[in-house]
Amino acid sequence: MIDPYYLQQLAIGLSLGMTYALMAIGFTLIFGVLNVVNFAHGEVYTLGAFAGLVLISATAPPIFAVIFIALAIGAMAGFSLERIAFKPFRRFTDEASLKSRAMRESTLLSSLAVSIVVREALEIVFGSQMRSVPFEYLINTPVRIGPVILVTGDFIIFGVAAVMLIGLQYLLTRTRIGLSIRAVSNNPLGAKYVGIDTDRTIIMTFVVGSMMGAAAGILTGLYYGAIFPAMGFVPGIKAFVAMVMGGLSSIPGAVICALILGISESMATTFVSSGWSDMVAYGFLILTLIFFPNGLFGARRERV
Amino acid sequence: MNVSDLSAPPRGRGLLIPLLLALLVFVGLPAMLAGFDRGYFYQIANLALIFILLSASMHLVTGVAGLLHLGHAAFYGVGAYTAALLSTKFGLGFTVTLPLSGVVAALIAFLVALPTMRLVSIYFAVATLAIGQMLYLVMLNWVEFTKGPNGIIVTKGLELFGFSLSGRLATYYTVATVVALCVLAIGRLSHSYYGNALRSIREDDQCADAMGVSTARLKMEAFTMSAFFAGVAGSLWAHMTGYISPGDFKFSESILILAMVVVGGLGSLPGAVIGALLLILLPEGLRAFGDFRNIMVGLVMFLSILLLPKGLLGEVSALQLARRQLGAAWRNTVKGEGIGWR
Repeated sequence: MIDPYYLQQLAIGLSLGMTYALMAIGFTLIFGVLNVVNFAHGEVYTLGAFAGLVLISATAPPIFAVIFIALAIGAMAGFSLERIAFKPFRRFTDEASLKSRAMRESTLLSSLAVSIVVREALEIVFGSQMRSVPFEYLINTPVRIGPVILVTGDFIIFGVAAVMLIGLQYLLTRTRIGLSIRAVSNNPLGAKYVGIDTDRTIIMTFVVGSMMGAAAGILTGLYYGAIFPAMGFVPGIKAFVAMVMGGLSSIPGAVICALILGISESMATTFVSSGWSDMVAYGFLILTLIFFPNGLFGARRERV
Repeated sequence: MNVSDLSAPPRGRGLLIPLLLALLVFVGLPAMLAGFDRGYFYQIANLALIFILLSASMHLVTGVAGLLHLGHAAFYGVGAYTAALLSTKFGLGFTVTLPLSGVVAALIAFLVALPTMRLVSIYFAVATLAIGQMLYLVMLNWVEFTKGPNGIIVTKGLELFGFSLSGRLATYYTVATVVALCVLAIGRLSHSYYGNALRSIREDDQCADAMGVSTARLKMEAFTMSAFFAGVAGSLWAHMTGYISPGDFKFSESILILAMVVVGGLGSLPGAVIGALLLILLPEGLRAFGDFRNIMVGLVMFLSILLLPKGLLGEVSALQLARRQLGAAWRNTVKGEGIGWR
């Protein structure tokens, strides 16, 4: 019989992996459409968490209002991020410059710069210390299932993430905007020729991806009860690792790898101190880059 | 090939700017520092010098070889920790630890580079980020070896073969000399045939490969050398401040160094120096208005990418400057010899 402790770690790993998956989807969507890495994605996560925190401390809303406001702030953050850090560098809209190297590197650096500015601005406004979430909003009421003790947060994170994943799948495969996102990520120039508004599609991609990131931020914030300006950095890297492992532009791949990452990380804390657990993600990243340069699921060439 | 064949300017003129710079660094600045005589100014000057060395070493790998390096501060940290541990555990002095910390940083970079140098563009950037973070985690969590977040107090100051150089002015001169020598070496490396080979990798690695340039080896060499200089900077930092902790070598420091190179102009050594000066001195100057150091870094970086994509002193103008200054030593398409210094 499996030790209940491991089952418990498995459940924690799954909910951790789900938040990574939400983040990784944002990375993957944006990479699919623009072929660039959005280094400011971790700050969207932080912004989502802070939006929820501000709302909680101002009024006493129900938890779904908190998640809703985080989503709204995430959408706004995604929109302005695209306008500030990506649009100015897309001076020409032909395919060559849409996916060119100069564009890739300048947006990489500009999103990095924007992420620094956002993080430092948050630090000036809220201070760099951890802010704790009021007790009644913490989602860690224990729930006992047989020998395993879980907390409500595990279920809420899993539920919200699952709903968002299904929603994303619906959006991508059943709606016009999803169709145009897939078209642009497949072939930007071709999409332009058939009359798709590439600019609008790119913005929509940022909005959708950032909403997912912001949801991950507020859920993690409520789960651990600590919100601070630098909180987006580590999950950002983890989500990035998941994306690379999944093969850069495959959403199912990214989700599966995010879950693998979350589970192996929570399992690793059984054997080593929690300070070293970040090592797992970096180790995975290096091993993937060396041995599976296409990612674990990249060979299928599945795009968005 | 005879030098007189070239219509190059006379040699004397070529030395004017380097001489003026040397005068400024070794006579003008120390005189000013001694005039004000405040420890704070000495500290700023030394800090600026160390970051000039860091940004120059990053220029070699990111600017010239075109590899986006996101873990440079970790190698700086490896150098600093090597110096600190050698001097606290074995009582070695600065004369020994300075080269050793460079060598250790270079060795680690070489080992790391062996598997990762096949990677290109964003994959390389992410791999260096992961490596930098791994080294940072080791510094932070291997408490028995590195003392973890408490940091290490380095009691030995700067010295040269037993002569103490721990006075304010002596410290400044030591740091300035080491930095000047290293920057000179980096300058010769990046403005030579060798530098041109690195530039060819940056422009088109497949083409360079096809032309017979060994790209993997050159990338590895550039990466290792840049880590060597970063290690030297780390050793200077450890002995200069007397206290190091993992916080000095975290990701945001890597980004700060990257911002210096980007703001100054990718591929231009004078640009890297100017960028380092700007990003160290500007936040210090604005300290009176509150702690805006990091937000300034972000803003300056963003504005310079947006408004000055080539940087403050771009590569082309830097190369023209170098060519004018080095006059006769520069060879310009002489019977199949290519362009650069011999």
